Amino acid sequence: MNVLTGSADNSCRLWDCETGKQLALLNTNSAVRTCGFDFSGNIIMFSTDKQMGYQCYLNFFDLRDPQQIEDNQPYLSIPCNDAKITSAVWGPLGEFVNAGHENGEINQFSAKSGEILKKAKEHSRQINDIQTSVDLTMFISASKDNTAKLFDSTSLEHIKTFKTERPVNSAAISPIMDHVVMGGGQEAMEVTTTSTRIGKFEARFFHAAYEEEFGRVKGHFGPINCVAFHPDGKSYSSGGEDGYVRIHYFDPQYFDFELEA
Amino acid sequence: MKKAKQYLEGCWHAYFGFENTKVKVMLPLYFLVCLFFVCVFVFAELLLDILREKPQEADGIDSVVVVDNVPQVGPERLEKLKNVIHKIFSKFGKITTEFYPEADGMTKGYIFLEYAAPTQALEAVKNADGYKLDKQHTFRVNLFTDFDKYMTISDEWETPEKQPFKDFGNMRHWIEDPDCRDQYSVIYEAGERTAIFSNDAKEPITAEERARWTETYVRWSPKGTYLATFHQRGIALWGGEKFKQIQRFSHQGVSLIDFSPCERYVVTFSPLMDTKEDPQAIIIWDILTGQKKRGFHCESSAHWPIFKWSHDGKFFARMTQDTLSIYETPSMGLLDKKSLKISGIKDFSWSPGDNIIAFWVPEDKDIPARVTLMQLPSRQEIRVRNLFNVVDCKLHWQRNGDYLCVKVDRTPKGTQGVVTNFEIFRMREKQVPVDVVEMKDSIIAFAWEPNGSKFAVLHGESPRINASFYHVKNNGKIELIKMFDKQQANSIFWSPQGQFMVLAGLRSMNGALAFVDTSDCTMMNIAEHYMASDVEWDPTGRYVVTSVSWWSHKVDNAYWLWTFQGRLLQKNNKDRFCQLLWRPRPPTLLSTDQIKMIKKDLKKYSKIFEQKDRLSQSKASKELVDKRRAMMEEYRRYRETAQQIYQEQKSIRLELRGGVDTDELDSNVDDWEEETIEFFINEEIIPLGDL
Repeated sequence: MNVLTGSADNSCRLWDCETGKQLALLNTNSAVRTCGFDFSGNIIMFSTDKQMGYQCYLNFFDLRDPQQIEDNQPYLSIPCNDAKITSAVWGPLGEFVNAGHENGEINQFSAKSGEILKKAKEHSRQINDIQTSVDLTMFISASKDNTAKLFDSTSLEHIKTFKTERPVNSAAISPIMDHVVMGGGQEAMEVTTTSTRIGKFEARFFHAAYEEEFGRVKGHFGPINCVAFHPDGKSYSSGGEDGYVRIHYFDPQYFDFELEA
Repeated sequence: MKKAKQYLEGCWHAYFGFENTKVKVMLPLYFLVCLFFVCVFVFAELLLDILREKPQEADGIDSVVVVDNVPQVGPERLEKLKNVIHKIFSKFGKITTEFYPEADGMTKGYIFLEYAAPTQALEAVKNADGYKLDKQHTFRVNLFTDFDKYMTISDEWETPEKQPFKDFGNMRHWIEDPDCRDQYSVIYEAGERTAIFSNDAKEPITAEERARWTETYVRWSPKGTYLATFHQRGIALWGGEKFKQIQRFSHQGVSLIDFSPCERYVVTFSPLMDTKEDPQAIIIWDILTGQKKRGFHCESSAHWPIFKWSHDGKFFARMTQDTLSIYETPSMGLLDKKSLKISGIKDFSWSPGDNIIAFWVPEDKDIPARVTLMQLPSRQEIRVRNLFNVVDCKLHWQRNGDYLCVKVDRTPKGTQGVVTNFEIFRMREKQVPVDVVEMKDSIIAFAWEPNGSKFAVLHGESPRINASFYHVKNNGKIELIKMFDKQQANSIFWSPQGQFMVLAGLRSMNGALAFVDTSDCTMMNIAEHYMASDVEWDPTGRYVVTSVSWWSHKVDNAYWLWTFQGRLLQKNNKDRFCQLLWRPRPPTLLSTDQIKMIKKDLKKYSKIFEQKDRLSQSKASKELVDKRRAMMEEYRRYRETAQQIYQEQKSIRLELRGGVDTDELDSNVDDWEEETIEFFINEEIIPLGDL
């Protein structure tokens, strides 16, 4: 069982989950923004930022070929000339990667040839985060344009939109209910007067089919940067700019709740 | 007919007969003949054109205008006069010749101007006739040919031709909404889009929406008939059901406007257009005809509106150093042809109910400061009130003109601090008695109940701000009804119908709101619209809008709709929302008796309204339920298809994970072994003592 991490220290590392031992070190020319294993666990991908004269690249390594790791030579390296990749996830069967860009575009890159299989231009501003559903058939993209959108992983068909008044930093799909959770807020340096009230930054729950908000959880006093559901769907956690990670377990009413229809 | 036809046919056959020889000869001949005729035709046309341009005596005269009442000047000021005339008259076209007849070394007082075309001369007559150059000289402009025309006028009367009627439709269309929805204008996207909505409790209904309708902001006319938009070249007025352009006023760089209460005139101000000879900083326009009535100088626009209108639009006045100038309409001339000399005048204002002006003058050596009420047009002083040790005064009229409150800041003899008194003038009582209310703290805000006899005061200093309510009673007393302390408020907003009001802490006070019923001075609701910058009541007093304008705060720009009791109905987020203005209503057409009858039968009407409301509510929830059902069905269908594909791909997934089935969410509980382990932590020996 392995863990893959990418960092702004210009490296991507592979670890053994049980022992914590570092298994591989891949140096890069610029910061690593996003990374992930495909469904089989044999192929890894990560993207590097456009920095210090270096382009943004989407790199693919096959772990079954140790030579690639030793030589630090990906079998496929896709350059991104325009807007850099900000977040990316694998498709359901490891044949492609869905990547979100700084300009709001989502491109589907083939993991074999590197060509762009499909495009989606639904967001108007930067994509902050992409997370898949538990069965990998769909994913949700969180964007600076104050919305989060649900897409089909394979066709990149735009299915739903969830609107808020603040930039959305992260969004996740519940594994057991038709719910999505979103977290966001204005960055401290972009706003002249932030709310002085404690706990103004909230995690917001939307019904996936009706696109309507049905609940909010207060508590963070800084913008929320990341949200995730527990794999069993009975709790969720959120991490924020305030330096806190909050874990909430849902009470029974959450599972019984239904909007009138 | 038949014979003619036969004849023509015969000719046809003669000339275009199918015999070859004839055709060979006839066709080219025919062609030559045609060519000849064409040439003659063209030549004739050219000739006519040239003939047309031949200078004719009649042409020249058609482009000449005669201007009378021109100042008579000597040679040293002639050049300046010519410049002024040129500036005014070159607006209508190109002046090709000008002639200033003289006698005894001075100009005669009338001049001739020739334009490049007769249409330009007509423009000059239309717009410059009646132009007031200064107090003694109002231009009379006529076409030179008119003199001829009028001299040879026939004795027979001919009815003049009717001008085609420009129909803008029903200008009061919005009032006829069967559900009595009021309209309001919204500027958003930082000024790029302006929209007009009809206010419905459920959600706003768009009536009109345009991009770049205005360049800065908009204003409604006092009775709601027109919407004024601002542009670099002037303002435009829009109205009617489809908001067509009614009128346009050209005033380069206009920045501020003001309407007369009767909606007959509009005053525009532009800091750019002002010269000594031709005052154009402030222009007064007639709205219906589009005519420029008069131009004025303006030193500074710090206290707009510079011209204050009387309530019926009969007079307008402005204050300059030691002078009060009152003008009358429609002549636009000074009342009694002179301004009033009031030494030291600091401020004035019209009563909103009568043609009375209130003004105040500060202390002057031995003469105390005083407030004077003057009746117009008689200029009779109906009341004078002396005040002592005055630092400053502010005039607050009650909306019907029933009361005037003068807020007087004084420094009493022997003290350093400033105290405030409210001098309440009872306008409807004989000889206008004055009552005084003394206030201990500094005053933050003051407001009269619009059509009643109460007023509200915010006083004190943050955080101990108090809201006090007073009632001006008939028996000569002014009673303090109630005082709320420790309020978060810096502004007072009364409902236009009276009785209800909102105390708001805007901007720096983070949008604290308190909804008050002043009939028994209770707080109906306390709420908050974080960072609210504006509060606007609708003209009927049923709804309140609080808003966060992009002009004062760059995030969370939205406007919220509340009932008069403080119940939140809607939150409308608009990208870079800037301004919301309710459309004013014209005064009611019902008589007081009719209103009394309606109030008596209110129970009957309210039953009908409640039924209507319930129906629309259930319709709304039914619509919502239907919408949700449709969305869920669509979503289910998508998920089913996705699930199907997922199942079909199972074999691929098995292969990718080396034959291990990981599709189930829970890890295989059967693989788990539970073991309970005990291990030693600590030992503690506690002596129990002798039992």
